[in-house]
Amino acid sequence: MIEINQVSQVFQTSARQDHLALSDISLTIQDGAFVSILGPSGCGKSTLLYIVGGFVRPTRGAAKMKGRAITGPGPDRGPVFQEFALFPWKSVLGNVMYGPRQQGIKHAEAEAQSRALIEMVGLKGFEDFYPKELSGGMKQRVALARTLAYHPEVLLMDEPFGALDAHTRTRLQNDLLNIWERDRKTVLFVTHSVEEAVFLSDKVVMMTRSPGRIREIIEIDLPRPRRRTELLLDPRYQKYIVEIERMFDDSGEGE
Amino acid sequence: MNGRAITSDLLLGMIPIVLLVALWQALVSFGYAPVTLLPPPGQVFSRMAQQLLSTTFQQEIAATLFRLFAGFSIATVLGVTIGLAAAVNPAVNAVVRPIVRVLAPLPKVALYPALLLLVGFGHQSKILLVTFDALFPILLATYYGASTVEQKLIWSAMAAGTPPREILFKVVLPAAAPSILTGCRIGLVISCIVVFLAEMITSTDGLGHALVTAARTFQAVDMFVPLITISLVGLILNGLLELVRSYLLRGFPEA
Repeated sequence: MIEINQVSQVFQTSARQDHLALSDISLTIQDGAFVSILGPSGCGKSTLLYIVGGFVRPTRGAAKMKGRAITGPGPDRGPVFQEFALFPWKSVLGNVMYGPRQQGIKHAEAEAQSRALIEMVGLKGFEDFYPKELSGGMKQRVALARTLAYHPEVLLMDEPFGALDAHTRTRLQNDLLNIWERDRKTVLFVTHSVEEAVFLSDKVVMMTRSPGRIREIIEIDLPRPRRRTELLLDPRYQKYIVEIERMFDDSGEGE
Repeated sequence: MNGRAITSDLLLGMIPIVLLVALWQALVSFGYAPVTLLPPPGQVFSRMAQQLLSTTFQQEIAATLFRLFAGFSIATVLGVTIGLAAAVNPAVNAVVRPIVRVLAPLPKVALYPALLLLVGFGHQSKILLVTFDALFPILLATYYGASTVEQKLIWSAMAAGTPPREILFKVVLPAAAPSILTGCRIGLVISCIVVFLAEMITSTDGLGHALVTAARTFQAVDMFVPLITISLVGLILNGLLELVRSYLLRGFPEA
């Protein structure tokens, strides 16, 4: 379980003024839940994810994981970034093996696990490629495999499909759900796409524009496993989308 | 790049060199310069072929190469170490930054008389001068590369379980490799120039010394041989460094 208690984040702007990015956020995320944080750009949703990741210290308040205060990054929380952030000097296999090796797993075993993961994300045959030789969608598959390789309890996904074209994005969403169905890790998923949030999540946390506050938490009560083609015809799915888009329009005025 | 493209690039690159030699030959043939002062290229090249086989001349080359390598290697080790330390440690940066700003624009050759007095006419004074001159481009390039490493690469490694003290060698150094190697390339060219210059000013051996001695005794042919030799040495060393570079940076998009 992840608990975020009254977290606020203040940044100094280049003009040396304080900018309130997050204001008084409290949120509890149950184990095994797929939770999306949805909001207009600049609402601090990524910052909230970085706080849970331990990459950023909140100005006020605290985040806890399993009752213990988060003080830094750890392999129990695995990030996947929009920019992929793959190590350019390592091959696909080298990238995926990085985590297990850091965890002290023997080379041969780490390699075997990593090869299996690369196959699972659909990149069998690309083990020796370098990231620069892959398309955006393939890079993000590698990044996902690299993170899954050290078995985090929570996946922290920061607009992971935001840099991909619509077709690739849809495929990766389906694949992510398939992978998630197997072991139901807790996922915290930041996005600005309403459809993506509703399609993937158990819960959508709507945020307001700067300063970021929680505006509403919407439970998405749709059956799993979810099939995109079925959902698109499902009136409940359509209703969620319309409802959230309306809220989005209110909070995103001027955008 | 494929083989044909490399060959055609090489051929294109030969054009200006061939033109330069043609211009040289023309200056001599049409009597713009007396043959005693500007010998024709053919004469210089045949003398060079002859010299390359003589032990005395080989010893001159060896002396120059040794100084060049020693100075360049020390500069690389120091430059990379100081540059990395300054990039990751604000206290080191506070100490290094002012001294680099003061020393970097200084014409290092002005230190040479003092070096001669301090460490003598032998190898040390030349090596030190090469070190001083090659140090700053390597240091600055390393500093720049190491301080602009993408934050999310570091976060990805930390989340995978890399302790903060290992981030320097596991992420910052490899991520900064393209900048560092660019700095080394500049440092190598400078090393070639400076070692020759130092030998021209005061030395008892080396290619620079050979040139000055020939010039003082009006042996025009012997004057041009060391000149062409040092540029060939530079060409070969740069080619070797380029091989190392393309191997080390095989995963990087810009290499």
